[in-house]
Amino acid sequence: MTNRQKYIVDTTLRDGEQSPGIAFSVREKVTIAKALDALGVSRIEAGTPAMGREECRAFEKIKLACQKAQIIGWNRMNLSDISQSIGCGADIIHVCVPASDLLIREKLRTTRSQVLETLSACAAAIHDEKRELTIGLEDASRADWDFVVLLIETARDLGATTLRFSDTVGIMSPSLCKATISRIPDNIDIEVHMHNDLGMAVANSIQGLRSGAKYADSTLFGIGERAGNCNLEHLLIATQGQLDFGISLDELQWRQADLKSIIYKNKLAYA
Amino acid sequence: MVTIIDRTLTTFNTSGLTDRDLNHFCDLLFTCGVTKIELTPELVDRLSFPASAASLKQWLEGRNFFLTQILSGPLTSDRPGMKEPKALWKLEPNELVEKNIPVSKLNSCHHQKVRITGLEDLMTRDYSEVFKALLNSDIDTLDLCPGNQQHCATAIALEWLLAGGQSISCGFANHHHFPPLEEVLMGLKLNQPDLFTGDLSVLSELRDLYEKLTGQPVGKMKAIIGTDIFKVESGIHVDGVLKNPHTYEPFNPQTVGNQREIVLGKHSGRQSLLYKLNEPELSESTAHIILKQIKSRCTQLGRNLSDRELRTLASEVQNDKPTEIYC
Repeated sequence: MTNRQKYIVDTTLRDGEQSPGIAFSVREKVTIAKALDALGVSRIEAGTPAMGREECRAFEKIKLACQKAQIIGWNRMNLSDISQSIGCGADIIHVCVPASDLLIREKLRTTRSQVLETLSACAAAIHDEKRELTIGLEDASRADWDFVVLLIETARDLGATTLRFSDTVGIMSPSLCKATISRIPDNIDIEVHMHNDLGMAVANSIQGLRSGAKYADSTLFGIGERAGNCNLEHLLIATQGQLDFGISLDELQWRQADLKSIIYKNKLAYA
Repeated sequence: MVTIIDRTLTTFNTSGLTDRDLNHFCDLLFTCGVTKIELTPELVDRLSFPASAASLKQWLEGRNFFLTQILSGPLTSDRPGMKEPKALWKLEPNELVEKNIPVSKLNSCHHQKVRITGLEDLMTRDYSEVFKALLNSDIDTLDLCPGNQQHCATAIALEWLLAGGQSISCGFANHHHFPPLEEVLMGLKLNQPDLFTGDLSVLSELRDLYEKLTGQPVGKMKAIIGTDIFKVESGIHVDGVLKNPHTYEPFNPQTVGNQREIVLGKHSGRQSLLYKLNEPELSESTAHIILKQIKSRCTQLGRNLSDRELRTLASEVQNDKPTEIYC
């Protein structure tokens, strides 16, 4: 069993808000971020600054409102997005790198070598501004393992502090998750980002954490694309007495209840 | 083949069920891959059986029973020259004895047909060792029905089957503490297709019928059966899905009787707008104004815009009129 002390990266304001029909105003984003900060969430992924001025304004206010949590700006792998994140004061600049050949070929319409080249340019721009870099491997669960290893080595060489392993379409089983995360060398902090398409995001996050990951991504009420992300409340229930995230389950439950009307403005969306 | 037991009909009050709905519900469960359906004795006379319900009830002696399918001889189908077997139902008593005891005490268990319950914390323990101990016990029939109080029952159920377990008990949707049937079936289909023969395209119909029978709505985001799980809003995902749906879908929506839909909201981009309006010639500045209005309205309403609302908004922007959408 690895270290019991683990950390939560909350992505309610980024991946959670990408859930169809869920949308927050600047004020609502700040309210949610303040609650997460008070709870003891160590990192808050506050959104995608490249979305525009409104999102940047939310970032600036969140940065001022939060006292302990580090604020992450999520970026596609391009310099313009990264420049926006740096501009609005994010503590951590996260770069999302499509890792599977499916995404590289079909979505980016590029090649593995071009991905590596662009990633290097992005990392240089982030280091020039003396910001912390974290790298996410999108669709890592469907990627060729040799390329995943190359991306991990590249991330470490480029000075990334954390590597996010994403099961983007939520197809991993716990045993596969355990076997995969165990294979990642321990010279970089690992973060697991599990989707709930098969109803196993909590179990997979637990397996990732038990296999060496330091961070788990989660959202309030488990909101997110399709069937959602790892539900923070459920993760805390499942790991009570086993893993320590520095977050009280009772406090999470009452704060989450307070935020329910902001997250689900349309009551029909929640059942 | 593994045995998939469905316990849904033991989890809610079935007194108001019509015979037709009950038979249809069972039919759909068998179609999607269930091997045995657990039922209470009260439901015997509601099923379409030629034998008298009274004698069947007597035979069951008040115990729950299993409904299973048997294949009869080939019958002539509609297509000339083709013959297909017809499935018939049969009853058998549920002889499984439920045990919620530590795995270490299993060997002292004198029953040969056992259903293990509990084990809800297995994901935070070395579950493969627990499964080994279970599989090495001298019990003839070992069914697992892990509790879902820690939101890991699907994972435990799937790992049990992948480890060599031969029988699992589940329940449809998530208004109980059994592993959600639809998640276990899809997990099995994706991980061990050789062990799975069901047709999951009936799951949407099963969900609708379940909601009608129980009066309990299934969450729109519920894994596998939620109505909204294939709605795509964010620009990044729409871009991927329009190029190749496989990029951001774990399986084809039609596999579960659903369909994908591009919807407009706060995270939509120009590409989604052009796709929805089907107006490739829309100017960049007009698209920008429409998108801005969409974002503002959706943030206010907390939902996506309908196609009708979108058309109204677009036409008003194009005619330079102020727009209003009411909740």
